[in-house]
Amino acid sequence: MSSGKKKGFKIEPFKHPVKMDPSYGEKTWKVLEDAIHEINNHNASGLSFEELYRNAYNMVINKFGDRLYNGLVETETAHLRQIAAKVEAAQGEGFLKELKLRWEHHNKSMQMVRDILMYMDRIYVKHQNKAPVTQLGLDLWRDCVVRRRGIRDRMLGMLLDLIHRERTGDIVDRALLRAITTMLMDLGPSVYSEDFEQHFLLKTAEFYQVEAQEYLGSSTCSDYLRKAERRLAEETERTINYLDPSSEPKVTRVVEDELVKKQMRALVEMEESGLVPMLQQDKYEDLGRMYTLFRRVEGALDLMRSVLGDHVKETGRRLINDPERTKDPVDFVHKLLEEKDKYDRIIGAAFNSDKSFHNVLNTAFEHFLNLSPRAPEYISLFMDDQLRKALKGSNEDDVDATLDRVMMLFRYLQEKDVFEKYYKQHLAKRLLSGRAVSDEAERSLLVKLKTECGYQFTSKLESMFTDIKTSRDTMQDYKSIRRAAATSAASSADDTDIDLFVQVLTTGSWPTQTAAKCNLPRELERCCEEFKAFYLASHSGRKLSWQTNMGHADMKASFGEKRHELNVSTYQMVILLLFNEADSLSYRDILSATGIPPADLKRSLQSLACVKGKNVLRKEPMSKDIGESDVFIYNAGFHSKFYKVKIGTVSAQKETEPEKQETRQKVEEDRKPQIEAAVVRIMKARRVLDHNSIVAEVTRQLSARFLPNPTVIKKRIESLIEREFLERDPNDRKLYRYLA
Amino acid sequence: MGRRQTATKAAPKEQDKSEALFNLYKDANEDSIGPEGVEHLCSDLKVDPSSRQVLLLAWKMEAQRMGFFSREEFSRGLRALNATTVDKLRKALPKLEEEVDSNPAAFSSFFTFAFKFCLTEPRQKIIDIETAVLMLSIAMPPSEPHLDPFISFLQSQKEYKAINLDQWTSFQRFAEEVKPDCSNFDESQAWPLLLDNYVEHVKKQQQENL
Repeated sequence: MSSGKKKGFKIEPFKHPVKMDPSYGEKTWKVLEDAIHEINNHNASGLSFEELYRNAYNMVINKFGDRLYNGLVETETAHLRQIAAKVEAAQGEGFLKELKLRWEHHNKSMQMVRDILMYMDRIYVKHQNKAPVTQLGLDLWRDCVVRRRGIRDRMLGMLLDLIHRERTGDIVDRALLRAITTMLMDLGPSVYSEDFEQHFLLKTAEFYQVEAQEYLGSSTCSDYLRKAERRLAEETERTINYLDPSSEPKVTRVVEDELVKKQMRALVEMEESGLVPMLQQDKYEDLGRMYTLFRRVEGALDLMRSVLGDHVKETGRRLINDPERTKDPVDFVHKLLEEKDKYDRIIGAAFNSDKSFHNVLNTAFEHFLNLSPRAPEYISLFMDDQLRKALKGSNEDDVDATLDRVMMLFRYLQEKDVFEKYYKQHLAKRLLSGRAVSDEAERSLLVKLKTECGYQFTSKLESMFTDIKTSRDTMQDYKSIRRAAATSAASSADDTDIDLFVQVLTTGSWPTQTAAKCNLPRELERCCEEFKAFYLASHSGRKLSWQTNMGHADMKASFGEKRHELNVSTYQMVILLLFNEADSLSYRDILSATGIPPADLKRSLQSLACVKGKNVLRKEPMSKDIGESDVFIYNAGFHSKFYKVKIGTVSAQKETEPEKQETRQKVEEDRKPQIEAAVVRIMKARRVLDHNSIVAEVTRQLSARFLPNPTVIKKRIESLIEREFLERDPNDRKLYRYLA
Repeated sequence: MGRRQTATKAAPKEQDKSEALFNLYKDANEDSIGPEGVEHLCSDLKVDPSSRQVLLLAWKMEAQRMGFFSREEFSRGLRALNATTVDKLRKALPKLEEEVDSNPAAFSSFFTFAFKFCLTEPRQKIIDIETAVLMLSIAMPPSEPHLDPFISFLQSQKEYKAINLDQWTSFQRFAEEVKPDCSNFDESQAWPLLLDNYVEHVKKQQQENL
């Protein structure tokens, strides 16, 4: 305005001088203050909203915003102090109710006040960065009421007490609780947390700590788990009903910690109802409950897994060391399969088919199965039994399913080469026992083995089958030729009482037989020669040697009036034929006449003379065992209900101790070149390698067949050093070098 | 008899002397010193034919056959020891022993020689335990703490009937590196199994003595 003079003439706009009443601010505030008082006292009906709004508006416009805001704070503070005193005065149960009621009133009042002071909220509060009316109301309520010394602790105490009472079975006013917790949450998450939640969680932990001890002392594991499950559900329900949803994971965590995590070991190890007894008694429901509860806390499933693993290992170990159980191999494997099924069912039904549990189970089975040095033999014997059953007309699908399960056990074997040895022996017996073998079942098992271990593993087994088939064809040719010869040379002095059947086996594919040929009777010898001539005529350059220890024969014999057909081994036939010439022969006579190895001879004689109902010979003196000085006599009084009598058994039997040793030794011998080959293969590629890496690599390469012993590997390496395939590094003791 | 070697003209005088010495012990039928000659030489040197010093001499000569020194070997040995007379040779031998025991490389060469010296048959690669024990007690310095326990272990064990070069030289390294009580034996180093067994044997005895 003053600058106007310098610039000369200037028209000024008309100004109406506003005379401001100096006490305007105070006066207007007085009106508003009165109104607020009325509102707080629920007497708002007589107030004019429009007028009050304008007053507040004018105060802000006329820069009395400060006065207005501060006045509001003072008035409300004073009011709330009075309210707090009233709340504090409330007795017992009434306290929380009073608090709730006053809170509701306060909210309603503040809403109205906010409406009146809307303009202040929009302009003054915004510019001055102050709390808007609603927030102010909350803050004041928090500071003047909720956090007042006489209220804060009492409120908390009552809340916790109510919750405790509900936990112990009382019915409480949930709506009231809900109102209070909502109030705390409205005052801000930090108020809810500091003034309530933290204490609540502590109390919860305390409560369940005590309860866990009580439960442990009084309940079985199964009851405990049920209770824990119920408690967890209750706590969830509680939060839904009257706590803030954000508390749910926290309180659940606390309960899980107290009831499950801290007690898991005690639970699992409970004497008569813990995990092991549950497993033993197949308590699917309880196990399932344990699994779902334990899955919620860290480390608990690990504990379950380790206890499960140890338990399976322990029962397995006991099974394997139980001489009663291992007496019958077939029964033993059955038992193993049952165990496996049992745990598979448990994992399926109770543990949600959890992969990690299956892994533990597999490891445990592998562990204990390989503790038994006879496991490979027994598994092969079991398969033998199944395949014979398949032949006897059991349902082929059943047999196949059982074989599938046995393959599972087979997979656990570390010494697959030992199994192969036995399987080969047993297969040979099956194939040679003469009775038709169930081709389909055999082949299907062979395919399974092939899938598991590869072509190499089964190639020899397959060639055994081929031999049998080829032999059948050869015999057909041979017989037709002989028939032709017989009819053309009708003279036929050749009394063809003997029906020869030869099986030509490839050396190397079949289990090695060291037995020498025994002395065959003249008639038979001629047959053999004839066949030999026939065979070599079409397969020149081959060599045939007779394995008389593997054959069998059907022969007709007469005992007085009665005639029987005897089914015997070739050895037994040779022995019995001697009795065509004499009625009584000494052991030594028989030995020298037949040339059968003594061990086999004794066994053959034993089944001819010492088995009741099949004793076609009599022995002097009568005893169970065969002595060198015994004498054998044709038993003219032999009788049997059956026309056909089967003597001696060819079915596979458990090996005796020396036989087992022998097989073991053979296996060890066979392993040597395999280990050496592996070492050379590795060293050829790597040139220089340290000892431990070689051992690890060899073990890995051979693991499909067997688990080589580190000492044996070392021995093989030393042998290779001696033969100058390798040398030691002159400087580093750990290293070997490959010598090309 | 009349053949003379004139290959080395550098030191004809020494050559002559060693030739003369060689001829003194030479076998009548062969151009080398035979067992009798060796025995004769040993008695002149005043040493036991089966002593360490004689083995050392053989090593210096790089002798190929036990009980024989060829003309070439003999002169090589004398040259290496710088000796031309029996007297000088006698004095040189204790020095040689000292040198071998103080120089690991020389000892290692000598020790390996001792094994190969025992291989009498063509393509022979191992020596039986009895020979090995005998040879060990000659080749190893008597102060070696592993010597007696190892020998008694070799005699008591049944797994090995013979020793190969690898085991032999490994024992020498073993004696060099491993303390008498085997406390610093490291299994992860690839010692031959024989030595693993030996350590096991020693440790077992230690326990029994506790």
